[in-house]
Amino acid sequence: MILLQSHSRFLLQTLLNRLRDIEKGVELDYHWVEFDDIRYHVQVSMKNPHLVLLSLSLPTPPPETDFPGGLPSGAVEAVKVAYAGVVQILDPPRDGFNLTLKLNFSKFPPNEDRRQALLVKIASVREIVLGAPLRALLKHLATKTISSDMDQLVALVHRPNESFFVIPRVDKVIVVFPMRFKDSIDTVLATSFLQEFVQARRTAGLNNAPPCLWSSSPPLELNKAPVEALSANAGFVSFVIFPRHVEGRKLDRTVSSLSTFHAYVSYHVKCSEGFMHTRMRRRVESLIEALDRAKPDVAESKNLANNRSFKRLSLKEAHANYHS
Amino acid sequence: MDPAASRPAVVIDNGTGYTKMGFAGNVEPCFIVPTVVAVNESFQNQSRSSSKSSNWLAQHSAGVMADLDFYIGEDAHARSRSSSIYNLTYPIKHGQVDNWDAMERFWQHCIFNYLRCDPEDHYFLLTESPLTAPESREYTGEIMFETFNVPGLYIAVQPVLALAAGYTTSKCEMTGVVVDVGDGATHVVPVADGYVIGSSIKSIPISGKDVTLFIQQLMRERGEHVPPEDSFEVARKVKETYCYTCSDIVKEYNKHDKEPAKYIKQFKGVKPKTGAPYTCDIGYERFLGPEVFFNPEIYSSDFTSPLPVVIDKCIQSAPIDTRRALYKNIVLSGGSTMFKDFHRRLQRDLKKIVDARVLASDARLGGEVKAQPVEVNVVSHPIQKFAVWFGGSVLGSTPEFFEACHTKAEYDEYGASICRTNPVFKGMY
Repeated sequence: MILLQSHSRFLLQTLLNRLRDIEKGVELDYHWVEFDDIRYHVQVSMKNPHLVLLSLSLPTPPPETDFPGGLPSGAVEAVKVAYAGVVQILDPPRDGFNLTLKLNFSKFPPNEDRRQALLVKIASVREIVLGAPLRALLKHLATKTISSDMDQLVALVHRPNESFFVIPRVDKVIVVFPMRFKDSIDTVLATSFLQEFVQARRTAGLNNAPPCLWSSSPPLELNKAPVEALSANAGFVSFVIFPRHVEGRKLDRTVSSLSTFHAYVSYHVKCSEGFMHTRMRRRVESLIEALDRAKPDVAESKNLANNRSFKRLSLKEAHANYHS
Repeated sequence: MDPAASRPAVVIDNGTGYTKMGFAGNVEPCFIVPTVVAVNESFQNQSRSSSKSSNWLAQHSAGVMADLDFYIGEDAHARSRSSSIYNLTYPIKHGQVDNWDAMERFWQHCIFNYLRCDPEDHYFLLTESPLTAPESREYTGEIMFETFNVPGLYIAVQPVLALAAGYTTSKCEMTGVVVDVGDGATHVVPVADGYVIGSSIKSIPISGKDVTLFIQQLMRERGEHVPPEDSFEVARKVKETYCYTCSDIVKEYNKHDKEPAKYIKQFKGVKPKTGAPYTCDIGYERFLGPEVFFNPEIYSSDFTSPLPVVIDKCIQSAPIDTRRALYKNIVLSGGSTMFKDFHRRLQRDLKKIVDARVLASDARLGGEVKAQPVEVNVVSHPIQKFAVWFGGSVLGSTPEFFEACHTKAEYDEYGASICRTNPVFKGMY
């Protein structure tokens, strides 16, 4: 697995199971958390087996982002467009959540393929909601609409109290990610991973991919950003998105890759740590083997049966120990 | 307060056959997947043989791909069937982790592909069998803290969790015998007030996998037309769908012979190579499979003590003041206790043994002192299959859980040795 999937596996599985045995009318109540602190809650009651309540809680937004009514701007419209007909937004949302959707299974399309596509779309709800502002900006780029906020720095939330920045221009969109890691080893690995990542972009096969850059200091585009948003211990990655990257169906993929970029990097950092540990274990094993070969096999093997891992106490010693 | 403690803990119960994973506070695990990893070995051999070649880039990318190119669970089975470059590895054998590389990869996919959570954000609750070596606990701790950077880890003992699964219902009973029949290991573990009585643990070399093997053998001997490469999987499916426990083996044979139409089932399958459909009959193996636990001599000649006898021996070896309580609360856990009426049969056989002993002692004393009858109770509940996971979920959602965890700070200070011991073994016994 190189890229993380855009939909929540568990949500998709739950909905599929639910749809399959809708007649059984079992109650469901699940809570779970995904990366970037996105919490889900699914509830189905006995009374209305056709209705599923799906609640979503988003990461705490940093002060510089635009977050009206607890949701990113344009999210409500995006949800309405994406799930027309089957979903109703409940207002106010469930306590402790940012958004509650009511799915109505009786309105799902009977066609198997279309239903599956819709379920996958519902399972990628985080992307629809959190990626809504990014998607709107990229759509402007694709349709070459000139909106009022050209050249303005837009901050979008992607992790608790962290944001990434988007600078829309007429012919391109620049996306800048400040990368932060908690652990010092992770920081080092991430830094070299990102440098390698930028390097890999230069190979011949990837000429059409969005150009990307890494720098340890904030790039010039961010000079208007608040100072506290500019502390990143693993540097800054910027992508330049051209209209050809957001044509037609590519838009969805671009939005999903960009909105999970931090998770992608952190996943690969963990994978490389795992890989290194595998190598280390193998090395230790080979060293132990070498050590074992070097052992002179004198009459040691005979003694094995008598070798005890504990010291035998005589009765007297045992008593002494007991009283002390 | 630690922000990770405000999120639900991740509970992963790695069994020999299936891994149950999910978040604490839920009633069911999110996923139950076979504990298997399909690894692409072709890259590794290539890079080793061509290590002298100058094409470092190809080798480099092969190395990069190799450590990400693997699948777990159902996907692994599907991959290994469709292409020959993937090899199946079972990281856990007989309840103990056997291959740490595979185990690490398995966890990696559990966390990132299935649960899709950031391991730095959650406390983790893993499980181990009661006979796990301290070294293996250290390894687990090392992988969890070094590779995944988890903020806290608790390695729980499976039988204690299985007892804790019944904890939420009216009574708070933490004394009992846990009969854990998994796919790879069977343990009978007495627990008193939440502490494992380590010296009385009994294991049986017969587990769920042996039932499958026995069914496979029976079907092969009768000459059912099952493709040989698929016969183990078919036997497993037969075991999971059709097997039940009978009360008397002779009567059951008669029943089958009188009304074959009612008892003989049909299994329909598709040949993996040609795609042609086939059917086979399922007869006596429906009740003979689970009978392996009660009459082991029909399966192997090495081990002949039936499960009820082992349970009785286990309780008899426990401290005398706990025995009555232990007989009263015998808890089943693990997928292979799911056979219909398994608990009834177990209770009946055990009661017979206990009553015979009480009668014998009464006769010996000549009726002067009457022994109080011993209450034998085998508890069965619908969540038996993932009772251990559910116990973990209950435990992980209590506020005390976060204090009992080994934390990352402790690990950084003292190293992996903090995971060596488990407090549940430090009881008075």
